[in-house]
Amino acid sequence: MEERKNADSQYLELIDQLKATNAELSDALRAAEEENRAKSSFLSSMSHDIRTPMNAIMGMTSIALSHIDEKPRVLDCLQKIQTASTHLMSLVNDVLDMSRIASGRMTLSEEAFSLADMVHDITIILRPQAAQKHQAFHMEIGQIYEENLLGDPLHLRQILVNIIGNAVKYTQEDGTIRVSISQHTEPDAHTTSDTGSKIWLDFLCEDNGIGMSQAFLEKIFEPFERVNNASVSRIEGTGLGMSIVKSLLDRMGGTITVESAEGKGSRFQVSIPFAAAPQSKSVLTLPAGQTVLIAERLDSRAQQMAAYLRDGGMETVHLQNGMDAVTWLTEAQYENRMPCALLLGLELADMSALDVTAHVRELAGRDFPIILVAETDWAQIEYRATRAGISAFVPCPLFQSRLLTALSELTYKAQRNHSDRPGMIDYCQYRLLLVEDNELNREIAIELLSQTGVQIDTAENGLLAVEAFEQSPENYYDLIFMDIQMPVMNGYEAAKKIRQLSRRDAGSIWIVAMTANAFVEDIRLSREAGMNEHCSKPVDADRLHEILRKRLELHSS
Amino acid sequence: MQSYQEEYIANLKDITVLAARKTPDSHSYETYREMLLKNRSLLEAKITRNIELLRDGLFPLFDRLFEASPDELSMLEEFAQSLLNGKNELDSGLFCQIYQALLSRARHTKDHNAVIRYLYWLGIGRHSACSKMVGLDWNDIENYMAQMRLCFAEAAAYLKYYDDIDDVETKGYILRSRANTALGQFRSASAKIRLTRQTLQLLQDEELQQKTPQLPWERYIYMTHQQMTSSISYSRENDMTPQDVVAIMESAHIVHKRRIQEAIRSNDAPPVRSAFSCYAIEYYCGLLTLEELLGRMEELMDLADTSSFSQDAMYTIISLPAIYCQYLKEYPEQLSGRERYLESLYKKIITYTEAFPADEANELIFYYLRQLSTTFIETPHSISYGAFQQLMLLHFAPDIYVHSHVVGQAAAVLCGIILNEEPTFFDDIEYIRQIPAFAAKRQAVLELALNCGFFHDVGKINFISLFTRTARQWFEEEYEITQLHTIVGSARLNTCASTRRYAAAALGHHSWYDGSHGYPGSYKRLECPYRQMVDVIGLIDWIDNSMTYAWLYGHAKKSFDEAIRDAVALEGKRFSPLLTARLRDQAVAEALRQAFRTARDDTYRQLYQLTVQHKEPLNTL
Repeated sequence: MEERKNADSQYLELIDQLKATNAELSDALRAAEEENRAKSSFLSSMSHDIRTPMNAIMGMTSIALSHIDEKPRVLDCLQKIQTASTHLMSLVNDVLDMSRIASGRMTLSEEAFSLADMVHDITIILRPQAAQKHQAFHMEIGQIYEENLLGDPLHLRQILVNIIGNAVKYTQEDGTIRVSISQHTEPDAHTTSDTGSKIWLDFLCEDNGIGMSQAFLEKIFEPFERVNNASVSRIEGTGLGMSIVKSLLDRMGGTITVESAEGKGSRFQVSIPFAAAPQSKSVLTLPAGQTVLIAERLDSRAQQMAAYLRDGGMETVHLQNGMDAVTWLTEAQYENRMPCALLLGLELADMSALDVTAHVRELAGRDFPIILVAETDWAQIEYRATRAGISAFVPCPLFQSRLLTALSELTYKAQRNHSDRPGMIDYCQYRLLLVEDNELNREIAIELLSQTGVQIDTAENGLLAVEAFEQSPENYYDLIFMDIQMPVMNGYEAAKKIRQLSRRDAGSIWIVAMTANAFVEDIRLSREAGMNEHCSKPVDADRLHEILRKRLELHSS
Repeated sequence: MQSYQEEYIANLKDITVLAARKTPDSHSYETYREMLLKNRSLLEAKITRNIELLRDGLFPLFDRLFEASPDELSMLEEFAQSLLNGKNELDSGLFCQIYQALLSRARHTKDHNAVIRYLYWLGIGRHSACSKMVGLDWNDIENYMAQMRLCFAEAAAYLKYYDDIDDVETKGYILRSRANTALGQFRSASAKIRLTRQTLQLLQDEELQQKTPQLPWERYIYMTHQQMTSSISYSRENDMTPQDVVAIMESAHIVHKRRIQEAIRSNDAPPVRSAFSCYAIEYYCGLLTLEELLGRMEELMDLADTSSFSQDAMYTIISLPAIYCQYLKEYPEQLSGRERYLESLYKKIITYTEAFPADEANELIFYYLRQLSTTFIETPHSISYGAFQQLMLLHFAPDIYVHSHVVGQAAAVLCGIILNEEPTFFDDIEYIRQIPAFAAKRQAVLELALNCGFFHDVGKINFISLFTRTARQWFEEEYEITQLHTIVGSARLNTCASTRRYAAAALGHHSWYDGSHGYPGSYKRLECPYRQMVDVIGLIDWIDNSMTYAWLYGHAKKSFDEAIRDAVALEGKRFSPLLTARLRDQAVAEALRQAFRTARDDTYRQLYQLTVQHKEPLNTL
């Protein structure tokens, strides 16, 4: 009886175990089926996603082949092929990343990196994408305790680009994306390295895009999941991005929270701990006690600049438009109270910063620091900006270190030029040839140029210049200023003869035409004669120095 | 003035007459053509001479400006002043070059009085360039406005040191600069009004007036009131504040009252301009309805004295109709019932401009015509917009008229050749693609080529003095300004349905095939369905310019063969290889040579008929 009881009990136990096993198996099957479904769906969407850029590549290749004589058409096709290939590569990379994370083969690096550089790089990548969709893209920098951090910059960048990139992708044209980056510290927390307390990087990305449903939010970090509705069916992606982000954050000890509402937008909040990078802080020579003029249309930006400058011990004056800035500077110059620098936003209330710069450069002289503080991609405007007279560029979002470093370098240089003449910028290792037949002009140019310490040889006509160059050792001269109208041999002829000489520096020596002849033909002729630049007469001291500075600094770098 | 300066001025005046191509009526065509060619070579000789005068006289002076004697400097200023004197503009580009050089010198010598004076005049010179930019988008002209305004702003900043400055004339320049900061176009009417209001307050400050009673304060104040009335925003939707409205109302009243007194004193016609300002501001405030305002404008326009070329007459006959059109454009419901009246206005304007003395250097008429070109409205029976533009070219820039017709006809010949070999060549243009029959398609393409040629340079009307009266090569700054003719031309042609198809050629004909050079940046070749036609016009335009207008660009004139050879050398860079490949064919080159020759002769004949026999030119367009 007892035995039977035991047998029954064992039987029941076995039944229970069997039931439990069945349930587990059933769960596992469901999970496997779910995973299989997700993978099938992933494979299906990947096939589509891979096919889309492949179609573009194949289509554009055949269009290019059929229009092979039409260079611009071919160029256009190649550019589109490049875009599609880049996209294809990112798809493949995502899949590989996910596979690495899943197999535990991914390792985090620990290296020093600059947060300012990283934020700037991210802005350069994402701002144009937002601009293409006419979206307002705001990136703000809050309290930053340490700009140089120790961690894995590549994966941090991947996280940030992924989140902001999604915001751009899933926000409609004319939408708004706000990104904010700041830091907080935890003095009581354990240290991650021997450099001190953890520094938490707080990152917030908000958009007013299509948003996500509650159901999707629950699965957002699962691999191969994408928002599935008509409005995103044409948006490319693998559905791996957020899963990668979450896995990376887990590995980095960070957190992520998401809030979203369909049709209203999404809000991602990320916090990641870092250690401060061990490094000796460079000492900045800031013009403490001096005034900086800020010409900026946006009050918030101006306030941020002013706060950073006040931290550096400087005073500020803020104006919103270009005419007021020129008026203020004219008065300051008259009263010998010039500010130590002008910080300019790209668009002022009444005109563009570059127009103001061109005028201020003439008014305030060659050494006066004019710093452009803007969100723009510097590479796009560098030529126009430096030609107008901008001395340095500080990108936005604005980091204090970048602003103060630029200011320190420029004001130090300007101060040294001002107080230390004629030793100014140390150009004493450079030598230039000044070719000018008019004695007074020669004297004026020598006087202006010699303040920089540059060594100057002179020649009174083109023939003497050619002889002087020919007889000098190779690379003896760094620059030639060449008058055009001269007796015996004019400047065009002399430049041509120099270019024709069979010595290695004949083609590379920088020749600047100095002439009162201002017709378009004259500028063309000087270029055709092999001259590199044109400087109009009467000689403008600022222009002369600008050429000298740009050329010789470029030469030395 | 020095003798080379006097000679330069005399040549400039001759060139204005020669460029106008006025000939007596009673010649045969052969004599007419012979005279044209003779005048043309005379004009070119004068231009060559003027370039020599600057190279040998002015540029050497710039070269040694720091050691120039006071006499030389004073003669240089006198020379500059005769180049741009009030509304008479002989050479504002050279005027700016001179004052820029003088300003550099003054900055170097730290002569504040001279800096202020030269800044003022440089600002005036730049304003002359800015006034040619009517009808252009703010983004395209903003930097020119800024360059001008900053000259005045810097000079005006010395107001703070008014008491330190002992030279009365310099004080006058400071005040005038202050007032001139409101010249030109602004992003918003309110910004302009605010500046003018501040200037008025300043000029009315009795304490300031007592410091220099010698200055013509009353004149300054009156002119600033005039400035204020010209700041009025005609549309109620625009951004004038109640304060702005009060200020304008007050100024309009003061100006009008004074103009009435002046008219009574001199027995002149009642002042139209100031009367309109009063009506316009009353309308703005709701004291007049739009219906009433348009009625009052019609009354004013009917008062016009078509035999006078005074400023007031020009304003009434051309500018006021331009503003009238602007209202009708903004409120199209008001056009109904006014078509006939508008047509009569256009007729009056055409007759008036045809009678305008062609050797007159007064720039104001061009300013007003630019206004009208921007607001022009086509009605079913009115002159077409294209015909109106052609008439303007014909009267004020006959050389551009000839060039445009030559380009149109030669382009049509080249298109005909291309179509014979490749019937679908222009099929990127949708309406051409949809024409199934080859003969009809061919006809449509040739018409398009002809008209694209006719209209590709209409934007030059904005910069007429730069293109037709520049008696030397251009300076770099001028070359940059002239490049805007592509943008303004395209904007104009886009205004009216009848000319919209030709806008792409106006915009893109100076672009390079490979995108490496050329202008404007707003023309994106690959995005333009008309690009094959734009390529054709660009090539033919370049060939004709190489043979005729080379001096402006500092190039030697080319023969037809040289131009073809050089065009082929630019294959794949400046010009489409699909076109230059055809130029290699001797038969095609010969056909084009013949086309250029015939087209020029045909256009001269047309000119002869139109200008000598006074035939109506409009039916052909």
